[in-house]
Amino acid sequence: MPLRAALPLVFQAAAIAIALLLPAFVGANSYALFVATQLGIYVIAAIGLNLLAGYAGQVSLGHAAFVAIGAYSVALLTVDHHWSFWAAAALGMVLAAGLGMLAVLPAFRLNTWYFAFITLAFALVFEKMIVEWRWLTKGFAGVVGVPPPSAFGFEFGPRPLYFTVVLVTVIAFILVRNVVHSRFGCAFVAVRDVEPAALAVGASPQLAKLTAFVISAALAGIAGAFFAVQKTVVTPDDFTADFSIFFLLTVVLGGLGTLWGPIIGALVFFLIPELLAGLQSWRMLIYGGLLLGLMLFAPHGLFGALRQGWRRFAPQAATPVLAAERAEHPPIAGLPLQVSGLRKRFGGVLALDAVDFHAPAGSCCAIVGPNGSGKTTLLNLASGYYVPDAGSVKIGRVEMLGSSAPRIATRGVGRTFQTPRLVADLSALDNVMLGAYTRERANLLSIALRLPSARAEAHRLREEALGFLHFVGVADRAETEAGEIPHGQQRLVEIARAMMGGARLILLDEPAAGLSMSELERLERLIARICELGATIVIVEHHLDLVANIASHVTVLDRGTVLAAGKPAEVFKDERVMRAYMGERALKTGAPA
Amino acid sequence: MDFDVVAHGIVAGSLYALVAVSFNILYRPTNVFNFAQGELVMLGAMIFASATSLAGMPWFAAFVATLVAVGLIGLVEERIAVAPILARSQTGTGWVITTLAVSLIISNLVGRFWGPDPILVKPPEPLSMEALDLGPSRISSYEIMLVIVTIVLVAIVESAYRTLKGKAVMAVAEDREAALLRGIDPGSLRRWSFFLGAAFAAMTGVLAAPILYASTSLGPDLLLKGFAAAAVGSIGNNRGALIAGYLIGVTEALGASLLSPGYQEAVIFIVVLTVLLLRPQGLFGSSTARTV
Repeated sequence: MPLRAALPLVFQAAAIAIALLLPAFVGANSYALFVATQLGIYVIAAIGLNLLAGYAGQVSLGHAAFVAIGAYSVALLTVDHHWSFWAAAALGMVLAAGLGMLAVLPAFRLNTWYFAFITLAFALVFEKMIVEWRWLTKGFAGVVGVPPPSAFGFEFGPRPLYFTVVLVTVIAFILVRNVVHSRFGCAFVAVRDVEPAALAVGASPQLAKLTAFVISAALAGIAGAFFAVQKTVVTPDDFTADFSIFFLLTVVLGGLGTLWGPIIGALVFFLIPELLAGLQSWRMLIYGGLLLGLMLFAPHGLFGALRQGWRRFAPQAATPVLAAERAEHPPIAGLPLQVSGLRKRFGGVLALDAVDFHAPAGSCCAIVGPNGSGKTTLLNLASGYYVPDAGSVKIGRVEMLGSSAPRIATRGVGRTFQTPRLVADLSALDNVMLGAYTRERANLLSIALRLPSARAEAHRLREEALGFLHFVGVADRAETEAGEIPHGQQRLVEIARAMMGGARLILLDEPAAGLSMSELERLERLIARICELGATIVIVEHHLDLVANIASHVTVLDRGTVLAAGKPAEVFKDERVMRAYMGERALKTGAPA
Repeated sequence: MDFDVVAHGIVAGSLYALVAVSFNILYRPTNVFNFAQGELVMLGAMIFASATSLAGMPWFAAFVATLVAVGLIGLVEERIAVAPILARSQTGTGWVITTLAVSLIISNLVGRFWGPDPILVKPPEPLSMEALDLGPSRISSYEIMLVIVTIVLVAIVESAYRTLKGKAVMAVAEDREAALLRGIDPGSLRRWSFFLGAAFAAMTGVLAAPILYASTSLGPDLLLKGFAAAAVGSIGNNRGALIAGYLIGVTEALGASLLSPGYQEAVIFIVVLTVLLLRPQGLFGSSTARTV
């Protein structure tokens, strides 16, 4: 096995070996074991926060509250009601996720910073309520004497507790890793970086954020449960705003959006307070300075810096893609698009007025017109990115007017964008695989557990995605990060993504813009081939030669209305069309079309 | 319903509205929601308190000095914590973390400098905090003036948006690239809005000081309530922020008097969540289309 691939395995094995061997070298009641257990607890919560803030881009400023919910659930239920630790911990996870969900649900439809504010406020309110509801939480005094967990009549001392925490940490790490590498993880990153891409593949941004949040809050809840039994005392002072900032800093320090980030961050962080014990009163100032400095100079944290150094030391060898050879693609049953009476107003501008447009199943129809004539608006209305003011959009025989973009995508509508919208941090192959988001059957649980069925499906989809990259002619870029692929090829990856989604109606928004002559020819052949397979294609384009060669029908828009429609040869001879495109004078002096 | 409770709710609400307006000034042309805004308000109160009570500066001179000083701190924040993040990615939200970091730094430095004890600030002559005997209400002349000044300030800010510079701000908020093509420099607008937004926050602090005292605990409290007013009143809408400020202030005062003071934050939180759930764009905004 090459060094590159072996290294992560070596690290994982070493980390687990050190964690398991530690108790052999320190006493059962030693401070070292206490700190190590605490470290494990913090890592569990940090792994969850990293999934939420690093991958899904939702920065939680109140993570301490979710930890507090888990801790108080265990403390109150085991002390006052003599529940077993395990049942109380399970309920704590459910409560952390459930109460948190109630609070943050409104934020998911809005800008990311709403989420940050609402979690900040939630933590503050929760802290006040712990004090206020003395009858339930015992106020400032807190809950004292939380009993250790026990199983089969065996009470967990410090060592078994430590091993349990290590076990849960490893499980949390593996579950989150599996999710991050699945379609869900890719959708999180898409929602974080390019929301239009998530919508185009049928992934609902709200649902993606919610999924990340629930996993994250549940992990905070279980961390809180262990927190309670380890400290045996739970007070409101344990869960202040500082504690939330501490978790955030842990993740930023280790590396936002990297799997190892939370672990490295927590390890380093635990050394700092020990070293800076004399500077206790400067703590929050140091936190603030570190947060600022890291975000500015090391946005991927310590892990990012290490990774960069490693890449320089051992440059990535071009991995030959073990590609499935170009398989003949099965035919596609094209969906017709029927638009009638469509109207859209932006403030004082009537962008589209009573536009009719029909693309029969399996046809290739073009929409042309001067800039600002409403071409892209028409595409955005048909694919659900805008809500029209009036009219009808029928896809197949179903009225889709007012449906959300993900729902329309799920109906079999794929699209590309004027400027390619790929997820820059994911490989071209992952971007294409994301296209199958709604087709993939494996659910979150079977993906997190890597059940054989989920693995087999992921493998099959991977092969299929490679096939599509071959089909569009960029298979050699499969493992390259999409942000580093040349512009012209990004377009092709977008087309592959649309086809991967099983699109039967493909909307192309100026695919030829900025392409070289040879790229243009390739694009023309590609569109012709997709059409031959049977898919319906609607293309918005300025490049009239391309349109004349591939389209069977052309609609000309001008200032929001249909100026002419028909076969390309006829339409381009129309005097009104020439006037709209080239102006009055050019028409009189007989400039060539 | 106790009239006095409502009156004090309106007074508090005016302060929340002012914080919300300072958010809006900053947000409109930059799309950045400054998490250090509460600390800038606090800093305004502290600098002003020191300048008048300790250094004995006259009211107006201290007022101007405070605004300029905090405005410059806002400018420094933009240069250090916001511009580099936006240079990396226009759409990223790394500034949530960096502006939060700035708020931590300010709050700790101020705490270290001034200590935890609140400083009493007297209102300018001839106003006073003595309760006037106005029948059912026990409100002071300063508080009445504060409510009036707030309304005037919102009107001034609104009319400023109708000037050419104000229209440039709206143009950048609408479409950054199109504004760039028309010769508007978004970078310079962003620096100005941080300066003005911070100065407005400082003014809020100065106005709040006689009522709430100048202390380091002002920051987080006004940050969250200002956000509540801005979100409920629709982000960017200053008149909306004023009405939402009243709504939040009165709800809070009623919640405290009917339930218990400990429930203040919880009541506001529930109001904000309910509004956002039913009308995500706030009470006074219209939903805007995304562009691809």
